[in-house]
Amino acid sequence: MAKRVLIVDDALFMRTLLRDIFTAAGWNIVAEAENGLQAIEQYHLQQPDLVSMDIVMPEMGGIDAMKTILSTDPAAVVVVCSALGQESMIMEAIKAGAKDFIVKPFSDAQVLEVIERVAAG
Amino acid sequence: MDIAKYREMFLTEAAEHLQNMVSLLVELEAAPEDRNGIAALFREAHSIKGMAATMSYSATAQLAHHLEDQLDNCRSLGQISSTQIDYLLAAVDLLEGLLQDIRQQLPERSVEAFIQGEIPHQGLELLESVSCSEDLDNSNLLIHLRLEETVAAPGPRLLVLLKKLEEFGRLLETIPAEENILQGEISRTLEVRLKTDLSQEQIFTRLQKYSELAEITFPPEQIVEKQRKQQAVTTTVRVGTDLLDHFINLTGELITNRYCLQTAAAERNWSGLNEGLGQLARLVKNLHHQVLQVRMMPLATVTDRLPRTVRDLCRSSGKEVEFVVDGASIELDRAIIEALTDPLTHMVRNAIDHGIEQQGRVRIKAWRERDQVLIQISDNGRGIDPEKIRQRALQCGLLSPVQAENIRDYDLYQLICHPGFSTVEEITETSGRGVGMDVVKTAVERLGGILMIDSVAGEGSRMTMKLPLSVAIVRMLLIESAGSLLGLPITRVLQTLEVSPAEVRTSGKQLVITLQGELLPLLSLRKILRQPKGQVKKLLSLVVTEVLGRKIGLVVDRLVGQQEVFVQGLPAPFDRLRGNNGGAILGDGRIMFLLDLQPLLEKRRKKEA
Repeated sequence: MAKRVLIVDDALFMRTLLRDIFTAAGWNIVAEAENGLQAIEQYHLQQPDLVSMDIVMPEMGGIDAMKTILSTDPAAVVVVCSALGQESMIMEAIKAGAKDFIVKPFSDAQVLEVIERVAAG
Repeated sequence: MDIAKYREMFLTEAAEHLQNMVSLLVELEAAPEDRNGIAALFREAHSIKGMAATMSYSATAQLAHHLEDQLDNCRSLGQISSTQIDYLLAAVDLLEGLLQDIRQQLPERSVEAFIQGEIPHQGLELLESVSCSEDLDNSNLLIHLRLEETVAAPGPRLLVLLKKLEEFGRLLETIPAEENILQGEISRTLEVRLKTDLSQEQIFTRLQKYSELAEITFPPEQIVEKQRKQQAVTTTVRVGTDLLDHFINLTGELITNRYCLQTAAAERNWSGLNEGLGQLARLVKNLHHQVLQVRMMPLATVTDRLPRTVRDLCRSSGKEVEFVVDGASIELDRAIIEALTDPLTHMVRNAIDHGIEQQGRVRIKAWRERDQVLIQISDNGRGIDPEKIRQRALQCGLLSPVQAENIRDYDLYQLICHPGFSTVEEITETSGRGVGMDVVKTAVERLGGILMIDSVAGEGSRMTMKLPLSVAIVRMLLIESAGSLLGLPITRVLQTLEVSPAEVRTSGKQLVITLQGELLPLLSLRKILRQPKGQVKKLLSLVVTEVLGRKIGLVVDRLVGQQEVFVQGLPAPFDRLRGNNGGAILGDGRIMFLLDLQPLLEKRRKKEA
């Protein structure tokens, strides 16, 4: 069965880009969210295998959203996605439980490597 | 005898003797018939032998005794051969290894093979590491990881790897430590000591999934020890007892002062209060001075290590280089000294690799100018060819053709510090300089200093670092912009001046003034900080400073004055603010932020591009 992913990013452009990469790799995109609050809601509705989470977003940022998700589902697999130069935020996310990270700008191959790695456990 | 009590003392002293031996050996290489030098070397070996024997460190004593014999021979011959110097340097390395064993309370490594003669030192080390690792619990595994140069965010990447490794077993030790990574230490390598039930092959296969890794190896024990030693080097400081006495006296006076002030306050005795406050001011100033004194270290701490580097470089390159240090006794804050170690080594290395052609001189000169220290590294080599830099800068797009034509040599040289410039590898062959100069410049500027580069083709080049004496307490130029108070370290300020708006002209889109015959671009601080526009004034206040290798005139609302302030790092999340390098609370309670122009202008430039 195809693996299920939730894509969280406030930029439509980034969501489209990620959607195409995930689709090409045979993933099933179960939902998309534009901010942390939506991400939490969608996570509980869909229970995806993987969350691709942007860090800087309006309403609620990715790190807080991830913490909330992990507090109810410690097994959640979250990969954070952030721009170059935000190393300290990425590290904060990893400390808080992110399994891996993707740095924008990214290539398809980089994204695929990371998601396959974390999906394999 | 209570060994532990004396161990630290022994280690510190023995390390000093070894450092002296290295310096003497390098000097003797240039003058092999210097009897005084040989005699001094003999005394150093003798001192180590005596101390080690007293402490019952038999292998160390045995090796030192062996060296003494060798040197006694040289002493009677009145000269020392270059083979002997090589041999003795290898012996010093071995002694350093022994000290390390003692520091870690391991049994001393064997010196028999070395003393017997022919076995080269490195072979010995390998041999020992094998026998050493057999003794260890075999579930302890050392893993060395190196990231690809292209990995965009090394810190987070290492953190992910650490978490992955934690799944394999228990992490006993990591270099760098996790907290150092979190604090922003940049490293592309990771050493881990792991207690695990998995085999090397199993771990290797799992780590292979990370294409970010350029190298996955499982080194024998000692390599990690070596790195640990480097990390542990600077954790203690020796303080003279006279300084400690000063502190006690000062504390006593402060207590007395407190009672004076309390009494005066209770009696509402204003003149008494005033007197007490005056006294307090004097005591605090004195205390500050003494504390700084404790933190001061001579430049020699760094430069004493350099002759060996120079010697090894000369050996490998076949060049003949005379290395001179003037002003090694100049003292600087230990934080500055520590931060200077790599840049200095780097510049000396650069001078030999790329400046000196076959034979020449590299000189480090340090001197003090008021509350600043200047350190200059010069060589009499071929110099930097401005034409080649110009070409390269054009190629990399750092300069437009018009800029390339008009730029002065001084500004051109600064371009070798541009990261985009230096990471291009082929440039090291063609233009000579560039490797890591961006690192040097960043280090100097982080300390609140300035790096100046000048060069005359065929006569040599000169790099001058202008540094503050201390990092924590810095003399600041206070400026005001739209009501906020900002500070620039005085070392970063080239000049301040006030000009009439009539002097301002435009050159292209850029506002400029003519200063000492040159066009100086003007940038408004309000604009950089995205503050509302101010009113046009009769006189514009300018701060002339250097950012990204260019001189600029920063237009500010008001020059407030100069003041010594105690700079503190800002707590999260304020540390993430771009262009802000810390803050200070001034005497009147106002908060001043330390302005860091570089990232602000870099961002702007990127936007424009």
